[in-house]
Amino acid sequence: MEHVRNFCIIAHIDHGKSTLADRLIQACGAVDDRKFRDQILDSMDIERERGITIKSNTVTLEYTAADGEVYQLNLIDTPGHVDFSHEVRRSLMSCEGALLLVDASQGVEAQTVANLYLAMEYELELVPVINKIDLPAADIDRVSEEIDADLGLDPFEAIQCSAKNNIGIDGVLEAIVERLPSPGGDPEAPLKALVFDAQYDKYRGVVMLVRVEDGVIRKGQSIRLMYTEADHVVEEVGYLKLEKVATGTLETGSVGYVIAGIKTIQDINIGDTMTETERPAKEPIPGYREAKPVVYSSIYPMSSEDYGDLTKALDKLKLNDAALTFTKVSSAALGFGFRCGFLGLLHLDIVQERLEREFGMSLLLSAPTVQYDVTLTNGEEVVVDNPSFFPDAGDVERVEEPYIKASIMIPEKFLGAVMELCREQRGEKTQFDYLAVGRVEVTSEMPLAEVLFDFYDRLKTVTRGYGSFDYDALDYRATDIVKVDIMVNKERVDALSQLVHREKARSRAMHYCDKLSSTIPKHQFKIPIQGTIGGTIIARKTINAFRKDVTAKCYGGDITRKRKLLEKQKKGKQKMKMVGSVEIPQEAFIAVLKTEKEK
Amino acid sequence: MSSGGGAGLYLHVPFCSAVCPYCDFAVVPTDASRSVRYVQALLAELALLGEEELSFDTIYFGGGTPSALSRADLESILAAARRSLAVEDDAWLALEANPEDVDAAALEGWRGLGVNMLSLGVQSFQEEELRFLGRRHSVAEGERAVREALTAGFDIVSVDLIFGLPGQEPENLRDSIRRLAELDPQHVSCYQLTVHEGTPFHRRRQQGRLLELGESRQGELFELVHSELEAAGYSAYEVSNFAKTEDARSLHNQKYWDHSSYLGAGLAAHSFSGRRRWWNEPDLERYCSRLERGERPLAGSEELDSSELALEAVMLGLRRSRGLDLERLRADYGLNLLERNAAIIEGYVEDGLAVVDGCLRLTPRGLAVADAVVRSLDLDSA
Repeated sequence: MEHVRNFCIIAHIDHGKSTLADRLIQACGAVDDRKFRDQILDSMDIERERGITIKSNTVTLEYTAADGEVYQLNLIDTPGHVDFSHEVRRSLMSCEGALLLVDASQGVEAQTVANLYLAMEYELELVPVINKIDLPAADIDRVSEEIDADLGLDPFEAIQCSAKNNIGIDGVLEAIVERLPSPGGDPEAPLKALVFDAQYDKYRGVVMLVRVEDGVIRKGQSIRLMYTEADHVVEEVGYLKLEKVATGTLETGSVGYVIAGIKTIQDINIGDTMTETERPAKEPIPGYREAKPVVYSSIYPMSSEDYGDLTKALDKLKLNDAALTFTKVSSAALGFGFRCGFLGLLHLDIVQERLEREFGMSLLLSAPTVQYDVTLTNGEEVVVDNPSFFPDAGDVERVEEPYIKASIMIPEKFLGAVMELCREQRGEKTQFDYLAVGRVEVTSEMPLAEVLFDFYDRLKTVTRGYGSFDYDALDYRATDIVKVDIMVNKERVDALSQLVHREKARSRAMHYCDKLSSTIPKHQFKIPIQGTIGGTIIARKTINAFRKDVTAKCYGGDITRKRKLLEKQKKGKQKMKMVGSVEIPQEAFIAVLKTEKEK
Repeated sequence: MSSGGGAGLYLHVPFCSAVCPYCDFAVVPTDASRSVRYVQALLAELALLGEEELSFDTIYFGGGTPSALSRADLESILAAARRSLAVEDDAWLALEANPEDVDAAALEGWRGLGVNMLSLGVQSFQEEELRFLGRRHSVAEGERAVREALTAGFDIVSVDLIFGLPGQEPENLRDSIRRLAELDPQHVSCYQLTVHEGTPFHRRRQQGRLLELGESRQGELFELVHSELEAAGYSAYEVSNFAKTEDARSLHNQKYWDHSSYLGAGLAAHSFSGRRRWWNEPDLERYCSRLERGERPLAGSEELDSSELALEAVMLGLRRSRGLDLERLRADYGLNLLERNAAIIEGYVEDGLAVVDGCLRLTPRGLAVADAVVRSLDLDSA
C-alpha cells in the first residue's frame, strides 16, 4: 500500500490536463510510442474535440522512482462539469491527492479555483504544477503570486513543467511519489470498494471502475452492491493500463476494474459500495446520491421518417449512460419523438451532440422543463414534466416546483452583480460568506427551472467567467406556474409550449416571439407570431410578407439552371418543419432556447 | 401572325465593345480578327445542322451585341440558316442593338434584312445610372436611337430598362419610365438588376463595395414598374416584358415559356426539343476550334423526365400574365395542381397574389414573388 498513489489532475479548461496525462503515461512506458495518440484517456470524439471529459477513466502506471522503488500510480481522470458532479465527486473520493495545474501564461482561472475548493472538500493533498513554462508569454512570477494569493498555496512548492515539450515531467512524477500520501484502509476488514464509474463493453457487459477502501477483491468472489442490494460473482478483476490487465485480485487502496456479469448500466448505481456477500461491511461509503434526471425535453427527428433511427440511437446511448431516460411522445406539430430526462443542461447538450454526430441524426428539441407536482381541484395529485400534459388552469389547485440550493463561488468584486442575479432568478435566502481574502461564496435557494433557462450563461457574463456554480436539490415549494403557448400563423406549435412562472411569462413569450420572427424566413404572406396564456395574447410579433422573389430573366439558356435551383431549394424545404402553411427551420427551434448574452 | 406550332431559332453574337459589369452572358470584347473567325464558326455550325425535323417561324439575333456585326455578316448567317433549316419565308425576325450602334445606315440595313423587332439596350434614362451600369451611351443618345428606330418603321421597337440599382429612388425610376412612355415604343423589357456570380458587380458586392437594395424596396420598385407601365398603356405579358398590343409581344421569346421547340446556334446557345435540352460550348476558343475541326460544339445535354418538365411548366407558366393552364398541366403530366395545393392557393387568392379562372394567374404582386410561389407548391402527380 505504501507504494500506491491515487491521484487526479485538476485544471481550468485548456491548461493542458490531457497533455500532462499523456506525458505521464508515456514517461512510465505504459504505451508503445506507435500506439500512442493525443488525449489518450478521452475515448469519445466529443471529449477530444470539446476538451471535456464526460466519462471518468483511469490508468495504472508503474513508475520506478529516484529511490529505486517501483510505485503504482493510479491516475483518475475526472469529468469537469456540475452535471456530472456525481462522477467528479466519486472520482475525487477515490484519490488521496491531486495535481493542480496552472497555465504559465493564463494564470489562475475560474475553474482552477472551483476545482481547488472541490478538492479541499475531499481533503486531498495538493501539488501545484505550473505548465507551459516554455511559452514566450509565460510569466512564472505572476502565476506564482496568483497561486499564493488566489489559491492560498505555497508557490515555492509548485513544480514547473511543459507537458507539450516534455520538460520537467520527472519532477512531477517524483512529487507524486514524495508528496502525495499513500492510501489507508484495512486489508483484513470486510471488503468496501467505491464504484466510482462504469463503462459498457459490448462483449463483457458492465465494467465497473472501483477504488478499494478496505479488504481485497478476488476473482470468483461473491460481491454485493449495497444500495442496489444485488449479489454478483466477480468474473474478472484487474488494473486498467489503457487496456484491461486481469490480475485476479485488487488490493486495499488500489484502483481498478471489476467485471461481474452485469448486463446493463441500469443494473448498477454509480457511487454504490461494493462489499462481500459472505461478510458484508457494516456501513456503505457515505455520500451516495442517486443520479436522477432533473431536466426534461422532447427530442424529435427533423424528418419524421427518421423516428426509427432515433429509437435505435437512444437505445444504444443508454447502454453507456445510466442517467438518460426516455419515453415515446407525439406532437401535433412535430410528429413522434421521445420525452427524455437528463442530469442537467450539459448532459442534454452532450446527448444531443452524440445523437447528431455519432448517429447522424438531425434533431429538434423542446425547451427543457423540470418536474412539477400539481394538485388538482378534485384533490388528485399529478406529476407534470411536459407542458403538453399541464392541466387546464381551472382544474389546478396548487403547483409545486423543485428548488435547489445554489452555491456560487466568486471573487469578491462580483458580489453585487451575483446577488442581483440571484434576486432576478427568484432566489430566496441569498447569503454570502467569505472563504478567503477576496473570495466569496454566495448561496441561494432558487427554483431549478430558473437555472435551466439562462442562469449559467448569465453567471458567466456577470462574473466574466470567474464564477463557479454547483447546486444541491432541496425540496418542492409552492409556485405560480402558467403554460405559455406559442402560435405561429394562428396555429399552436405544441413543441414550443412551456411552463413558466407567471411573473416571467410575458418576457419569456416575448423572447420566443423575437427569436422566431428573426429565424423563420419571410413567406409570401404575413405571419403573426403570438405568445398566449389560455388564449389571451401576451406577446406578439409579425413576420412581414416578402415582396420580391423572382428571377428577372428567364429565356432559353436560363431555364435549366433555374429549374435546378428550384429543385435544390425544394429539397432544402424538406429540412423545414411545416406548421400549417409556415415552414419553420430547425434553427428556429434552437434559437428560442438560447438567450442573448446580456450587455 | 400567330405563334403557330413553329420552332424558334436563336443566333448568338457574343461581342461587345466593352463588357458591362453586371453581364453574365457569353460575351467577349469586340476584336476584329476574332469576330471574323467567330462568324466563320457560326456559319460552319449552321451548316452542320439540318437533320432537325423542325419548321422555324421566328429568328432571334441576341448577344452580346448583334448590332456590332456588319449587314453582310448578318445576311450570310441568315442565308446559312435558311440553307440548313426549314425556315419559313415570312419568319419573324428580332435583333438586339446598342444605342451607340444605331444610325441611319444601320437601321436601313436591318430593315433590309427583314427585322420585325428591334430591341434596344437603353437600360436607363438617368445619366448617373448609365455610368454606374458601365454603358457607353448617354441619355440623349438613347433617346435619339429610340426615336430614329421608331421612324425607320420596324413593326416593334423594344426598349430594355434595368431597375433596382443600388440606391435607386422610386423618383428616378418613375422619371425613366415617363421618358420612355413619351418616346412611345411598342414594347418594353424591364429587368431588375441581378448580381451574378463571376461578374465585376459580384466581386464588388463581396468586397462590400456594392450595396444591393433591400428586398422590400426591390418589391416596391417592381410594383412601381408594373403600375407605371400599365398606366402608360403597356400590359405585362411576363414578369419582365410589356407590350402595347398583343401583336407587339416578342413572338420568339414566348416560345421559351410554353416548351415550344427552339434551336440555338452560337457560343453557349441552348436548344430544346421534345424532352431534350442541349447546349453549346461556352468558351470562344474551344467553340471555334471544334467547328474548325468539323465537330458540333456541344457542351452538354439533358433528357427531362415528366416531373422535371412539370416543374418547368409551372415555373414558366406562372411567369406569364395569362397564367398556368391547369387543364393542360393535368393532361400532360397528370398533375392536379389545385387539388394538391388547395389551402396554399386559396391563401394566395385571399392575399391578392393570384387569381384562378381555369388558369392560375399571378397578379403583379404575385409575379414579384413567383419563385417563392413555385417553391411552395407540391408538384407530385397522382
